[in-house]
Amino acid sequence: MNNSLSELKSILQTRFNNSADLSIRYISLRSDQKITAAVITIEGMVDKEELAQVAVNGLLAYDFKSSNANEAFNIMLYSVLASSDVTSFSGFADFSGIEQLIGYITSGFAVFAIDGVERMIAVGAQGYAFRSVSEPESEVVQRGAREGFSEPLRVNMSLIRRRIKDPDLVFEQVTAGEKSKTQIMLCYLQSAVSQKLLDKLRKRLDNCDLETVLASGYLTEYLEDPHTSRLFSGVGISERPDTVCGKLTEGRIAVIVDGTPAVIIVPRLFVEEFQGVDDYSNRTYYASFIRVLKYLSFFISIYLPALYTALAQFHPEYFPTWILIKTANSLSRTPLPVTLEALAVTFVYEIMKEAGLRIPKSLGHAVSIVGALVIGESAVSAGIISSSTLMVAATAAICSYVTSPLYPPVTVLRFGFIAVGGILGLWGIVLATALVLISLCSKTSLGVPYLSSISPFSLRAMRDVFVRSSWRSLSKHTIKVQNFAETEEK
Amino acid sequence: MLKKIIIILSVFPLVLGGCKSSHKLETASIIENVSVHKQDGQLVYTFYILTDSDTPSAVAINADSFEEAQSLAAEKFIPDMSLSKLELLLIEKEARSEVMPRDIEYISTQASFSPIARVAVCDNAVIEKMRQVSEAQNTIKNQIVLCKKNNPDVNTDYLSVFNSFSGGRDKTVTVPYIGGNGDFKVTTIEINK
Amino acid sequence: MRSEVRFSSKRLLLTLMLCACSVILLQNYSVPAELSFTLKLCSLLLGLAVCFICFLPAVLLKKRSGGDLLSLVSRRSMLEQRAVGVFYAVYFLYASLYFLTPYCDMFCKKYYPDASPCLVAFLLLACCVYAAFKGANAITRFGIFLFVLAMLTNILMFGGSVSSLRFDSGAWAIEGGADAFARGVNYFATPCFIAAIFVCLAGEARLFKLRHPLIAVALTGLKFALVLFFITFAVGEYAQRQEYQTFVLSRVAHFGSFAGVESFYMALCTMSVFMIISLLLCCLCKSFNKSGSLPFTASFAVAAFVLHFIAASNNSVKEILTDPLLLNIFSICASVVVPLLYYFRSSFERSRHA
Repeated sequence: MNNSLSELKSILQTRFNNSADLSIRYISLRSDQKITAAVITIEGMVDKEELAQVAVNGLLAYDFKSSNANEAFNIMLYSVLASSDVTSFSGFADFSGIEQLIGYITSGFAVFAIDGVERMIAVGAQGYAFRSVSEPESEVVQRGAREGFSEPLRVNMSLIRRRIKDPDLVFEQVTAGEKSKTQIMLCYLQSAVSQKLLDKLRKRLDNCDLETVLASGYLTEYLEDPHTSRLFSGVGISERPDTVCGKLTEGRIAVIVDGTPAVIIVPRLFVEEFQGVDDYSNRTYYASFIRVLKYLSFFISIYLPALYTALAQFHPEYFPTWILIKTANSLSRTPLPVTLEALAVTFVYEIMKEAGLRIPKSLGHAVSIVGALVIGESAVSAGIISSSTLMVAATAAICSYVTSPLYPPVTVLRFGFIAVGGILGLWGIVLATALVLISLCSKTSLGVPYLSSISPFSLRAMRDVFVRSSWRSLSKHTIKVQNFAETEEK
Repeated sequence: MLKKIIIILSVFPLVLGGCKSSHKLETASIIENVSVHKQDGQLVYTFYILTDSDTPSAVAINADSFEEAQSLAAEKFIPDMSLSKLELLLIEKEARSEVMPRDIEYISTQASFSPIARVAVCDNAVIEKMRQVSEAQNTIKNQIVLCKKNNPDVNTDYLSVFNSFSGGRDKTVTVPYIGGNGDFKVTTIEINK
Repeated sequence: MRSEVRFSSKRLLLTLMLCACSVILLQNYSVPAELSFTLKLCSLLLGLAVCFICFLPAVLLKKRSGGDLLSLVSRRSMLEQRAVGVFYAVYFLYASLYFLTPYCDMFCKKYYPDASPCLVAFLLLACCVYAAFKGANAITRFGIFLFVLAMLTNILMFGGSVSSLRFDSGAWAIEGGADAFARGVNYFATPCFIAAIFVCLAGEARLFKLRHPLIAVALTGLKFALVLFFITFAVGEYAQRQEYQTFVLSRVAHFGSFAGVESFYMALCTMSVFMIISLLLCCLCKSFNKSGSLPFTASFAVAAFVLHFIAASNNSVKEILTDPLLLNIFSICASVVVPLLYYFRSSFERSRHA
């Protein structure tokens, strides 16, 4: 690279296409040799005040005397910028090369260059705006911490490091996205993690050929095992540092993506969808009760509408007598077959749910009234849908929120099972269950069977599956996720 | 592409062929009880359809056997009839000798007939009451349960009645007998095989 | 990239035990009615002893080579591989139809009278193709869920029939002719087919111990004995009046006013037959070294469907496909004769080299 600052400016302006946020400020150093330095930043990415007070003013005030350009650079590197005032910055490095320069300034570093010297100094003076640490809305707990991940990578790393003070905790940097060059950190405990799983993960991230990676969700498809069911996700997401730290101790790997608070955790097992932070803070009996409730809710949300449809359509004799009469009276007044009714009610509910997510808060109240009164009350009174079908669909919908991470697959399965139950009856539901089970049984996450703990069965792991055993029992043996791995690839 | 073709080929006959076997709840006629009595020398089989009204919804059919009555009922009078939820088979004592064991024998070959249905013999007044008031059916069933508690050897359900008729060393079969007009009294009666 | 899968031997034998238990679920006047309960139990013991003996050749091969018969055959000439492959393909196809035909018959007679047995067979086979494509490992994992369903169904079926138990002292007598006894032994030896499956899949099982197949056969015997006991003493003479006596048992089971155990029986039957046919299709593909090949699996499923279609319209074909004696002969050839041939052959070659 050419040593001249003017050439450097020209190269940068060409590379950034004369972008208005590229800032190159020249400084004349106090020296007998008339040395010119430049401060290269991206507007809005650096904390100008701190940079000016600590670095720039320090440079301007320093007397370089008769030093030449190279000597001035060394003084700047080892003396001026490395002084105690400058240690308030997040990073400090000397380097050479235009690509590294671009990498630093786009990451919020301020780069100091001297005319005639190839090497440059990057000072971590990030000052871009970011959201403060707050409680994640998608993972609200009663007794756990109120901290959640934020967008900056370094903030998230610090949240994890604070909780695991062991030097065994490793952060490994990777870059993804040809254009975005998004920074990613692989986080794991060296003594707990399996090298095989780690190598697999690294390989999959290397195979990621995206141009831009703007969120962790972009990477999930690359991290899933190929040729396995995509109905349930084999990749976990969490916005809570305490959850991530707990998973790290079980030999899992966290993937922290710069610019997104959602941290990826692999491998992911089915039983983890029913485990929550509050389970480990509450009393054992209550935590176990909630765990069982979650499993029941999961099955009710998928099977209740389907069983109702199948029994009403094919096997009415299986209804208890008192329900049979009321349901028959209710259904006889409506024009649609029970299958179509169930599908329609479930579909309308999904529309209302999506509308509720996107509607402005001021209008949310009106939508609730429209939904409850117009669609619920009026449609039943007019005899368009039956009250029993509405009740079944509503119960299933409420149950689906008990395990909200599973909402997407539960919704799809609910529709599928209603259709199958309405066309083929109980037999269809049984066959569909067999198909879904086989699909899940063949699913793996980084080679670890997705249904591990249940199938393959592990008696020891059952302490934390359907019930939550006491901490004395749980602390005796920490089950590492790699112990479940059966498949070995050639 | 191959997977999509297989899925479409699988779904198509599913849609076409699956709907035939449906017995919709709103159109199904679930038979709750059956009674048999003699009227003018002719057997009358009465099928009581499940309903929530106070007056029973009953269809009376003159027939020589249960098989004939069931066939006539399904063809002409009670569309989409189901006997899977049958709870009570009541036989008037005058019709008993003709009905048992012939109809008992026929019913044993029918998979749709519930084997745990209660079987009892009664007098004419009970049959009349059953045809007038829905609540009478529940009262009779409760009385049969009570009878079984007091007499463990009595055969109260169809399965035990059939097995007693078919096998065993005893020459008689003991079943509940319901008498009385409004105030049902349950005793037992022995029937010769 | 193909994966080398080795799974727990306990899980494999659990799956095979569930396959064997489905034999009694689909019994249709298969157990001679003239035999007393005591003699039925004796014929059961004898039949299952034959079943356990059929495991021994595969166990010997496993102990010697750590693999199964098919891995041994794969080192031979192409012609020999093809011949063994064809034999096992025909056997597994026959065994699939042995379960598919009575299942479709039972289902259409007892549950959906208006449904076409061919449609039922088609849909079931389509699902089995998918499961076979996923491989034996996934099927054995599925077996754990089926085990839970089986336990629940058995508790409901047997628990609900307790109130109907009537003990007749005559049932304990030694009654029944030699011919009936022989037919009984023949029927209770039908679970030999699991030994043939084990012959093909033994190489994928790790941590194998001889007690695993012994426990599997013993638990199968326990299930059979319980079903026989409840059919004899709870259902009684009524069982002989209708087809599919275990269905009748599930119909009789009730807890007060709660009935409907036959729905659990239907679920258990469906999933058991689904698992059996999937496993057989899996082994079929393995015999040709085509594991995980969807077109290959689908082609044999189509063949099974065509044969089922023929059987549905031709009674003599149906009788051949559901003859337990034929299945047993076939199973013994597949699980005993062929493995022993290869065992002795490899022993002979080893002693020659030594």
